[in-house]
Amino acid sequence: MLRLAALALGAGLVLSFPALAPNPYMVTVGIGILNYAVLATAWNFVGGFTGYISLGHGGLAGLGAYATGLLVTAAGLPSFAALLAGAVMVAALAVPIGFAALRVRGASFVIVSIALVLILLLVFQSWDSFTGGSRGLAVPRPFPGMPRAEHHTTFFFLFAGLLAAVLLVWWLIDRSHFGLGLKAIREDEDKSESLGIPTFAFKLVAFVVSAAFTALGGGLYALWFGDLDPVFQFSVLTGSNIVLMALLGGVRHLFGPLLGALVVGAGLEYFKLEYGDTPLHLVATGLLLGVVVMFMPDGVIPALSNLYDRLFAPATASIREVSAADLAAKGDEPTEVRR
Amino acid sequence: MTSATTARGLETVKLTRSFGGVTAIDSATVSFQHGKVNALIGPNGSGKTTLFNVVTGMIEPDSGRVTYRGRDITGKAPHTIARAGLGRSFQLCRVFPRMTVLDNLLVAVRARGLAEHLASSRDHEEIERARGWLERMGIDHLERSEARNLSWGQQKLLELAGVMMADPDTILLDEPAGGVNPALIERIGGLVRELNGQGKTFLIVEHNMDMVMSICDHIVVFDRGRPIAEGPPAAIRSDPRVLEAYLGV
Repeated sequence: MLRLAALALGAGLVLSFPALAPNPYMVTVGIGILNYAVLATAWNFVGGFTGYISLGHGGLAGLGAYATGLLVTAAGLPSFAALLAGAVMVAALAVPIGFAALRVRGASFVIVSIALVLILLLVFQSWDSFTGGSRGLAVPRPFPGMPRAEHHTTFFFLFAGLLAAVLLVWWLIDRSHFGLGLKAIREDEDKSESLGIPTFAFKLVAFVVSAAFTALGGGLYALWFGDLDPVFQFSVLTGSNIVLMALLGGVRHLFGPLLGALVVGAGLEYFKLEYGDTPLHLVATGLLLGVVVMFMPDGVIPALSNLYDRLFAPATASIREVSAADLAAKGDEPTEVRR
Repeated sequence: MTSATTARGLETVKLTRSFGGVTAIDSATVSFQHGKVNALIGPNGSGKTTLFNVVTGMIEPDSGRVTYRGRDITGKAPHTIARAGLGRSFQLCRVFPRMTVLDNLLVAVRARGLAEHLASSRDHEEIERARGWLERMGIDHLERSEARNLSWGQQKLLELAGVMMADPDTILLDEPAGGVNPALIERIGGLVRELNGQGKTFLIVEHNMDMVMSICDHIVVFDRGRPIAEGPPAAIRSDPRVLEAYLGV
């Protein structure tokens, strides 16, 4: 009940933001944060559940953006039909990509995911007869004639809706058999296999779902922003920002990536506003990543809940003490022998 | 090397696997007795764990065949072999450290089809079944603890409970008594006999000879990647080849 109330309150706050925002610029900041929240939550289907850290999700968002843009400009599809069709195309493309990339684990997977972004950057820059290359691709607005402020407000709600959808799907998977299997892969992939979990198929499905939502985020961005440049669309930086957000909030928690997007997204905007074109925002995000990894490896949400437990529930004994006493009462001492 | 088996269980034919220049399994033809408690013993490096890994699909063999109940499972994916009814534990006990004890068991529940995969993992019946196994292992009071907070012995019991939750016909245990105190060894031995009484086949790699001799029906002795002797405990104990290769008397 408390959770439901908190959820309603959160949703209310988000939805009332455009009305409360002092100017349209603040609404665009809100859109940026929501966009990042969509991407980080979509990333978390792979990174959070299976523990495969992808730095390539920026590239998948870029693919979604270009697919949407090109389906509008080259194929003449209506904007939102192009958005959905683009996401389906990226999901289909994610099958062979995942098939190749998910064969390697750990650092190798990270490197393969970076390679994906760099390859896409090269392709979209060089193939300028189709993609517009470095000149960029102008994507027509879906609501021609709509005043700028209203355009931003409309897209704020569209992004909020997409965020709600991706959160809902993450939550559904989190509580399912499938989700438990994915989390087992994160913990110990070989052990999961030995218990009968088809780990490769599970990872691939999670990757494709993740790619589809990432593409929707990228595509919606294309329709909102209206101008695409390969350098920004296929950037490893986007991917690393997404990872930072998810890690900061906590990858095991539904709202972890959202919280991370709020903090990092707002921070990035602040640095850009105050320090303009300096690379200070990169320094700040780098420092933040270091702090998170060193002091809050599980993210803010678990760190805060641990702090809460320590401050307000200090009486709980460690599990081992309880179990030792319990077992001793039963007459067989648990062993402490370590190999 | 044939043995009088009542039903066909786990068998290997001329199984070979080498790592670089070391032949870990050397054309090994073994058949384990279905419905019995089998032991696989031998000196360190004799290929016991490699045989486990090849049989369960973790490692592909260079040549040879593995069959289970007459079905060829050579080189199949580990999850396929698991679903064929073979369950295993690992030499260095492996549980899912950041999951609760209960979730460690629920992971092993087999979902089939899209609807079952997307259904909640907290199925009431399955939770009750998991609790049954935890009770049998004597760790039901730890249900909500994260597995990493359990003691070594408790983790061994948890791993066994997880393996059993998947409902295998044949259970391969890699050193179940390793690093475990005598009282717990007795308990694990008792559980093995009990489960065997209910129709489960066991194949146990173990160095603790007291345990092997007391709970096993059939012993296969490995040396340098191939079986050198097999038979009931009494025969193995007095076999000169075994004494020379392993027992070191």
